[in-house]
Amino acid sequence: MAIALLITTLGFATLIFVQEAKSPPLIYGAYYAGTMVALYLGVRIWLPHADALLLAVVTLLTGVGLVMIYRLTFDVPGVENLATTQAGWILVGSAALVLTMLFFKNYHRLFNYKYLLAAVAVGLIASTIFFGYEVNGAQLWLRVGPVNFQPSEFARIALIIFFAGYLADTRDLLAATSRTILGVQIPALKYFGPVGLVWAASLGLLVFEKDLGSSLLFFAVPLLMLYVATGRIAYVILGTLLFSVGAFATYLLFDHVQVRVSAWLDPWSQPDTGGFQIIQSLFSIADGGITGTGIGEGFSQAIPEVETDFIFSAIASELGLLGSTALLLAFLVFVYRGIKISLLAADDASKLLAFGLTAMFALQTLIIVGGVTKAIPLTGITLPFVSYGGSSVVGNFVLTALLLLVSESAGRRVAEEAPDEVMEGQAA
Amino acid sequence: MNTQLRRTFYLFSFGFVLLVGVMAYWQVYAREDLTNHPSNGLQSRRSQETPRGLIFAGDGETVLARSERAGGNEYERIYPEGEVFANIVGYWSNRFGASGIEIGQNNNLSGTGEPETLDELLNQFSGGPETGNNVTLTLDPELQRAAYEQLAQSNTGRGAVAAFDPETGETLALATYPSYDPNVIVEEGFEEISNEPDNPLLDRATQGLYPPGSTFKVVTAAAALQAGVLPTDRFTDDGTYETPGYSFGNYRGKKYGEVTFAEALVFSINTVFAQIAVDRVGPERLATMAREFGFGEDYEDYPLYVAPSDLGLPPEEWAQGNTAPISFGQDRVVSNVFEMGLVASAIANDGDMMQPRLVREVRSSDGIILDRPTPRTLNEVLPTETARTLNDMMQGVVEDGELLAAQIEGVEVAGKTGTAENPQGQPHSWFISFAPAEDPEIAIAVMVENGGIINENGEAETPALTIAGNLMRTYLDRPAPAPPSQQPANPPGIPGGGVGGGQPDQLSQPATPPQPAAPTPVDPFAPFRNAAPQQQQPVQPAQPPASQQQPFQPVPRRSGAGRMRAKLQL
Repeated sequence: MAIALLITTLGFATLIFVQEAKSPPLIYGAYYAGTMVALYLGVRIWLPHADALLLAVVTLLTGVGLVMIYRLTFDVPGVENLATTQAGWILVGSAALVLTMLFFKNYHRLFNYKYLLAAVAVGLIASTIFFGYEVNGAQLWLRVGPVNFQPSEFARIALIIFFAGYLADTRDLLAATSRTILGVQIPALKYFGPVGLVWAASLGLLVFEKDLGSSLLFFAVPLLMLYVATGRIAYVILGTLLFSVGAFATYLLFDHVQVRVSAWLDPWSQPDTGGFQIIQSLFSIADGGITGTGIGEGFSQAIPEVETDFIFSAIASELGLLGSTALLLAFLVFVYRGIKISLLAADDASKLLAFGLTAMFALQTLIIVGGVTKAIPLTGITLPFVSYGGSSVVGNFVLTALLLLVSESAGRRVAEEAPDEVMEGQAA
Repeated sequence: MNTQLRRTFYLFSFGFVLLVGVMAYWQVYAREDLTNHPSNGLQSRRSQETPRGLIFAGDGETVLARSERAGGNEYERIYPEGEVFANIVGYWSNRFGASGIEIGQNNNLSGTGEPETLDELLNQFSGGPETGNNVTLTLDPELQRAAYEQLAQSNTGRGAVAAFDPETGETLALATYPSYDPNVIVEEGFEEISNEPDNPLLDRATQGLYPPGSTFKVVTAAAALQAGVLPTDRFTDDGTYETPGYSFGNYRGKKYGEVTFAEALVFSINTVFAQIAVDRVGPERLATMAREFGFGEDYEDYPLYVAPSDLGLPPEEWAQGNTAPISFGQDRVVSNVFEMGLVASAIANDGDMMQPRLVREVRSSDGIILDRPTPRTLNEVLPTETARTLNDMMQGVVEDGELLAAQIEGVEVAGKTGTAENPQGQPHSWFISFAPAEDPEIAIAVMVENGGIINENGEAETPALTIAGNLMRTYLDRPAPAPPSQQPANPPGIPGGGVGGGQPDQLSQPATPPQPAAPTPVDPFAPFRNAAPQQQQPVQPAQPPASQQQPFQPVPRRSGAGRMRAKLQL
């Protein structure tokens, strides 16, 4: 707990220090700080057994994100208020977190509606084809009244709930199969079918919509969940093979994939076109060195989309290797707590839910950070909690809420068992 | 199930560790390569957003360059003294590159060098502003202004002055005319300035190469003294000097009869010097002496580019017809005002040439001394005795030659004139000198391009002599001697080099290389390619003449030797 508070304080300290230095609307900082503290206290009271450290990490990440967004946009005409907007989204996210906790305190009810959720998820993804509009070459956005949102951010969570519920029911059946094709055990279509169908549908749609980052996530997360559920490494191998084939096929089929890959393989030969963004990102990162240029002293504004997908480059530039490593560690702490929640959870569905959410969070971080550092081809997704983006922030708050709920039930169970152990000990 | 959970966690952890590794690769290992990548514009943007250090003249008060906030985070460079110091201070332009001290001392001025004080180290760690260091030059601002004005008022309005403190090697003045306003360069006036006919971007003091004419006779005289010729040795001048295929005469075709060596210097008798060079010194010893004086040297520790002076052919290939005119600074001999100033300096300093210096000290923005080079002998050119003898002979030039324009009340002045023929028209007017002769405080070289205008009597004007005299009086704060009578500043027969009688036949023409009254740029970019850090498209205006192309190294290599570094702050 002490660590949690320390990290929270650190997050605020960084935030407040910089905000004072740059004289932004402090009132929003106060709102933000108040919200997060209230949220933290609320969770402590409402869910006393939940893992509140998650919120501390969320506070740190959103805080760093706010600072960077403010720093990157406060003097750019047209987007001066982006940080304020983001603070608003954090407020909305916090509300979503509270609502999720209130309505789904017994989250097991969700598993009863898994097919409905799956349908809604696929529907959400498909909706952008008909109602969405295009941003940066990908049609991922829906306009609902005054608010634009990216449905795939929410569809992910719904799909993970579906997979968790379904796999928990059928994991034994999926694992214990005797049929083999070419030496590989293949489960009965009857059990595998629904998973495969939803999987293929969502994936197909996303690829069709050119949302490469989400496609990658939607592919990898269910695969990992399948592996965890069945304990069969064969699924992973098979999936990886499928992925390779699929990736190659999309490479051949879609121009924009080819552009991305060539920009990854050799950005230097096209510094003003396809490679521009990644090269500017690398320049900024390198400019940071070990200790960074200091906040406000870097030039990462040169990177297109720096406040969303490329915010990590800006952080690496201004906080250096030390800062970026610390941030990655914060993500890792979140992932660690998520896995721990999953380990402690009582039933399979909860385990799979917690794991699925954590895996998505972890992979999303790895994919975008890997992308901006040219470790893997760049795919446009957000850095959870840090990047600017309403849908992403709210979606990740809901994700955190579900993790907290799972940890609450797990924590309560552990707390109930602990006295028994003590009594047993005394008895012995 | 828990086993798989743990395994995937290890997988994720591995992924994160891998990413930290990737970050370390970019931010530490590959950092330098990326920073210096030609597409990387971050450094030049940073240089715009950091105030550069101040540049002061030698009085420590006159500001030659400062950075001023131009709105937003950007700074612009202001040059309060404008054209007068432009050839030295140079300019720092984001579009047109940089020159002069601005680039030569860029490591200090930009504040991007290694941190040298605790403050700078802390700033570097905290990412605070790294204000550039302040650079104080050795220039005497009053002398520099006077030199600039004198050149401006000279008969052709083209020329250069170099003045040194012989004992320390400090550059007191380094003026060239015409010059340009660096403030205009920075404001996009580069094209216009570089197209002006008189080539104001050329620093005539350090980069222009001209035949030195009779001023070179002091080098020949030094070689002769070393070869055992005494000032009292007698030689006969019959008006011409014959070599196979050539014959050379004296200024205005004069005939002097029997003269001493000292008198030959006073009257600048070409034929006697030709005799001495051919019969007593020989090409090898003359060339060696010239090299000792710095011919062929580019003074790489000097923060400005100095075009090396040159004798033309290697001495093994000199025929008599080369040696003779070389002895009085013609043939293919080329030099510049900077070099000839150092020649005078070395003689003045009892034969020791000091390392020429332009930077007196470097201080951090909060006033801590970071670097203060100490005077250091560059080369022991002549033994003290020989230098003293030559000094006396040069005093004779001013006194016995009655060079009134160069004389100073109560002070002995040593000097040597030159009227150097060149293919571009009227001869260049030269004068090198130092004073007070017994304990010199200033050595000076002046050249007025095509200033030796020859009148109908065959006499050449001597604007360089007048300028040098005025400047030395300014520097020593002494008046001119009361003129005994109205006398022409140029007594007949005294100055002059190879004018008249020279170049008797066509054969000598090809031996004279086309010399740069206004050198034509060959590749204006060549000197500065890859040399201006942080500039994507550097443009360097001034270029060594075609005959002197050498890779331009504007950033001085720090030798460390002879430099006192105040490192106690760390």
